[in-house]
Amino acid sequence: MEDDRDGPSIPNSTRDPTTHRRHQAMLERLSKPNQSQPPNRDSNSSPSFESTDSFLSRFADLKLSITSRLSLIQQSPESFSKSDLDNASAAISDLDKLLAENSYYLPPYEVRASLKTISGLKESLENLSSQLFPRKKFAFKNKPIKRNPANCVPKSEIENPNLNSSDKFGDLIRRDLPGFSKRDGEVLMKDFKGEDIRDFTVSDLRSCDVKLKGRSSAIFVHRLRNCKVYAGPVLGSVLIEDVEDCIFVLASHQIRVHNAKKCDFYLRVRSRPVIEDCSEVRFAPYCLHYDGIEEELNESMLDEETGNWAKIDDFKWLRAVQSPNWSVIPENDRMRTIYLSNSDS
Amino acid sequence: MGLLSIIRKIKRKEKEMRILMVGLDNSGKTTIVLKMNGEDTSIISPTLGFNIKTISYQKYTLNIWDVGGQKTIRSYWRNYFEQTDGLVWVVDSSDLRRLDDCKNELDNLLKEERLSGASLLIFANKQDIQGALSPGEIAKVLNLEAMDKTRHWEIVGCSAYTGEGLLEGFDWLVQDIASRIYVLD
Repeated sequence: MEDDRDGPSIPNSTRDPTTHRRHQAMLERLSKPNQSQPPNRDSNSSPSFESTDSFLSRFADLKLSITSRLSLIQQSPESFSKSDLDNASAAISDLDKLLAENSYYLPPYEVRASLKTISGLKESLENLSSQLFPRKKFAFKNKPIKRNPANCVPKSEIENPNLNSSDKFGDLIRRDLPGFSKRDGEVLMKDFKGEDIRDFTVSDLRSCDVKLKGRSSAIFVHRLRNCKVYAGPVLGSVLIEDVEDCIFVLASHQIRVHNAKKCDFYLRVRSRPVIEDCSEVRFAPYCLHYDGIEEELNESMLDEETGNWAKIDDFKWLRAVQSPNWSVIPENDRMRTIYLSNSDS
Repeated sequence: MGLLSIIRKIKRKEKEMRILMVGLDNSGKTTIVLKMNGEDTSIISPTLGFNIKTISYQKYTLNIWDVGGQKTIRSYWRNYFEQTDGLVWVVDSSDLRRLDDCKNELDNLLKEERLSGASLLIFANKQDIQGALSPGEIAKVLNLEAMDKTRHWEIVGCSAYTGEGLLEGFDWLVQDIASRIYVLD
């Protein structure tokens, strides 16, 4: 085979018919031996020639077979499927790999030239695939984890590429989240006992008392004004954002508070609580009681007082001296233990 | 052949990979790293600054930089970009409200030139929480399909709490980096 690193030019339709036919026959012949073999045949053997000439001739062979395959596809797109393009793409990656594996002994010029050839091949493949399959449909890269069908967005909806992302995004946000939202002046109660442990969202409340009994996996709190929130043990984390004039009584593995103003927190935490962009927030130990809370705390590894309720990390005050944004509630100023009765559920 | 054999030896030794873990706060970055390393994940404070963990994985040594995700310290992420081979973006799949934030931060990150060659693994974390979005849905929200074609990326659902999916994700990342940075065998 001639060492033609630029390969045959892709035939155009202006050629006379006999040359065209002959050319096509040649292309077919060239592409055959390679198609019959799996595209990854080189991946395990890792051929290493240690000779620039043998590398170059092999590289040229592979390249020729790829270009001929691509031009075949271009000439009669209807007889090829997407998998042919994928094969071509795999062949190009093999070429890439071949170069990589042999690059250590090749002269720099050859490496550069070969890299250029490869990127040229990639480009023509991309052009071809955008011609033949103009819109890439959304494809899952990964199998979705099986979940409760009630929480699932119907598959057809996900695969429909016509929905633009902002619409889709809205749908996802609006889907039924367990939680309390948009209430004013109410007492809101929930007992997780007997349910699957899951997350819970409390948002957009004004002057409400929220009483959450039982264990949950995570609690999200957002935009509360003048509210009181009491909750049983949280296995994961609590995230609180944008709250003012509120009282929280929480037990959790992690607690993060963003944008809180004039709030009191009664906490039991396994790690150090974090505050960020907060002011006039105060802290004291957990003080909630209801029937069975001891066992629940126990099961959640929150039965021990860690003292972390007073070890606050203020991300807006990274200095050794006490942050002005938070303080400990003086003992005579603290609430007494809150009892949630059995009727509170 | 003297110089050549030295060069080849050096290349063989280059089995270190530098991996940068980022994502919003509360997404579970530190938990993922500790779980991978078989450490206790029950007491983890939100990361103030960063942690570095060196983990032997398959035949490679991973230097994992786990950088805190709190808003205040996100601007410091850029100090860790240099020479990153793999980028791990961790998403809290149950935190629907901040997905917008999450998308913006990721978009900013991917504009960064120093990260342009890095393989990108997206962990859709907290799949153990009922009501969490699936990896497919996260991919949709983050509009991953629209990403630059030259970027090597993969999204994997995982739970740092149970450990599910972590190995699958790191397997992909390590393989992808290995095939990209021309490690000789």
